Amino acid sequence: MKRLILPVLLLGLAGAAQAQQPAATVIAVPPLTSPDSGDKGNQMLAVGWNVTQAIEADLRQTAEVMPLRPNRDDYYSYPEVTAPTFSKWRSKGAKALVTGFVQGRSDGRLTVGCYVYDADKGRELARKGFIIGANDWRRAAHKCSGLAYTAITGAPGIFDTRIAYVAENGVGEARTRRIAVMDSDGQNQRYLTSGDAMVLTPRFSPKASQLAYVSFAGGRPAVRVANLDSGQERPLVAGDPISFAPRFSPDGSRIAFSMMLGANSDIYVVGANGGLPQRLTTAPGIDTDPSFSPDGSKIVFESDRGGTQQLYVMNADGTGQRRISFGGGWYAAPSWSPDGEWIAFTRRGQDGRRIGVLKADGSGEQTLTSGPGDEGPSWAASSREILFQRTAANTRTGLYRVALDGSEPRQLATPQDGSDPDWSGVAD
Amino acid sequence: MRKAAFLLALLLGATAAEAQLPFLRKRDAQPQQPVLQGIDALRAEFAAQSGGTMVYFGSESTLLGPPARTALALQAAWLRRHPEVVVRIEGYGDSLDTRDHALAVGARRAEDVRSYLVLLGVPAVQVSTTSWGKERPGLGRAVTVLVR
Repeated sequence: MKRLILPVLLLGLAGAAQAQQPAATVIAVPPLTSPDSGDKGNQMLAVGWNVTQAIEADLRQTAEVMPLRPNRDDYYSYPEVTAPTFSKWRSKGAKALVTGFVQGRSDGRLTVGCYVYDADKGRELARKGFIIGANDWRRAAHKCSGLAYTAITGAPGIFDTRIAYVAENGVGEARTRRIAVMDSDGQNQRYLTSGDAMVLTPRFSPKASQLAYVSFAGGRPAVRVANLDSGQERPLVAGDPISFAPRFSPDGSRIAFSMMLGANSDIYVVGANGGLPQRLTTAPGIDTDPSFSPDGSKIVFESDRGGTQQLYVMNADGTGQRRISFGGGWYAAPSWSPDGEWIAFTRRGQDGRRIGVLKADGSGEQTLTSGPGDEGPSWAASSREILFQRTAANTRTGLYRVALDGSEPRQLATPQDGSDPDWSGVAD
Repeated sequence: MRKAAFLLALLLGATAAEAQLPFLRKRDAQPQQPVLQGIDALRAEFAAQSGGTMVYFGSESTLLGPPARTALALQAAWLRRHPEVVVRIEGYGDSLDTRDHALAVGARRAEDVRSYLVLLGVPAVQVSTTSWGKERPGLGRAVTVLVR
């Protein structure tokens, strides 16, 4: 009798532990192999090892997937790619397996094959092949990581994405700020502006080919739009109005933003390639920080028309404005999640600023961070994580990411202090 | 006689003590200061005759209080006497605010100052505005900066 009860008890305990802390799916990441032989084979295995390590690093960043550390000596044959020994990975605690190969092509490029398996059930979940330039292995790794992440979680991968932010140097009046763009793993950082003028709030277009941001180069804050491929840029609106808080529509055709008319800040929308701005709000007071719903039909924004800053939702043509935040305190800087489920925001109270989320109808509010200097939430393409800015007591700023599951925020390494992050969608 | 000598000593002592007072030292040091010219001289004159270039706002407020109105009346009087001068009102937000709202609050404060100066007879073309939001030290105020 005792013998029967004990396993049941253990199962119960395991269940309770899981409920407290959502368990990450353990995934085996053995070294990528190669069908090539000889010197070429060794070269391909070396590239494969780079790709393997990049996949591990990608997956380790997530809250939902936990990679086993790959072992380079763990020899893995080419036939095993399509016929893995699942029991071997199960015995190491893995629920999933991502593997593949690197093959040299006659034109000097490489074929990278990527396979994702459910190790428990012993079946294939996904496979994809990429042809890449010889030095472009990192991109292949990000695509492979995305394949595994999506197969396991059902959410879009966030590895082949970019992050724009404001890189800060120095303190006080001497602080310089530059718009920086990097891959989401911190690689390939480059600067878009020189640091001569103060800059704020970079915002990607949906395919991350353009960037809207605020520059003080003309003496007043004004939105500019830069083409990331050609480097060309232009002011968003003609004349010299104070304009700020730009955000692209999900199809990339429009940009919503704030503009001052006298002492009044209202929300406008204008074609991403120019045109005459159309005014969407007319309330006296400060309306700002517009963010489109993923289908482009609605806009969430903040307004202090009722006395304190609160969140409002309206149709994309400005009709049907209604307040959605009622939790007490001040709500600001809303951002609609890519899957449409949530609206992230910065909530201000007497004890500082925190990041939270609520549903578009105002229900289900949760606070995700403890503050006191948090602001500016930006969603990951997966809709499971939020990037934000945290200001320390000594006024230094850093970028942090937090998952919706309530786990602790983690700092994102940047070469300088960083503020105003924006996380792009998947480029493709 | 002794009383007179005592008084004299007291007087000398007082004079000696007075020599240590700050305003005398300040006057002694004055010739060493560079002579301000052009825009710098105008800025110094504006600041001195207007009793400062800044007005302060209550937290979260864009209302001009009585001290701010008094300061702006002095600024307006000087600006009316110097129609050739152009100024920019730089508004600041509050440090606890979020970035874009602070930018709008700074712009609104600058615009309120501009409107008040225009109300007091300063030509509108003489005054422009901008906002630093919470992006620079010196929050909760609006500064009148001589541009030319």
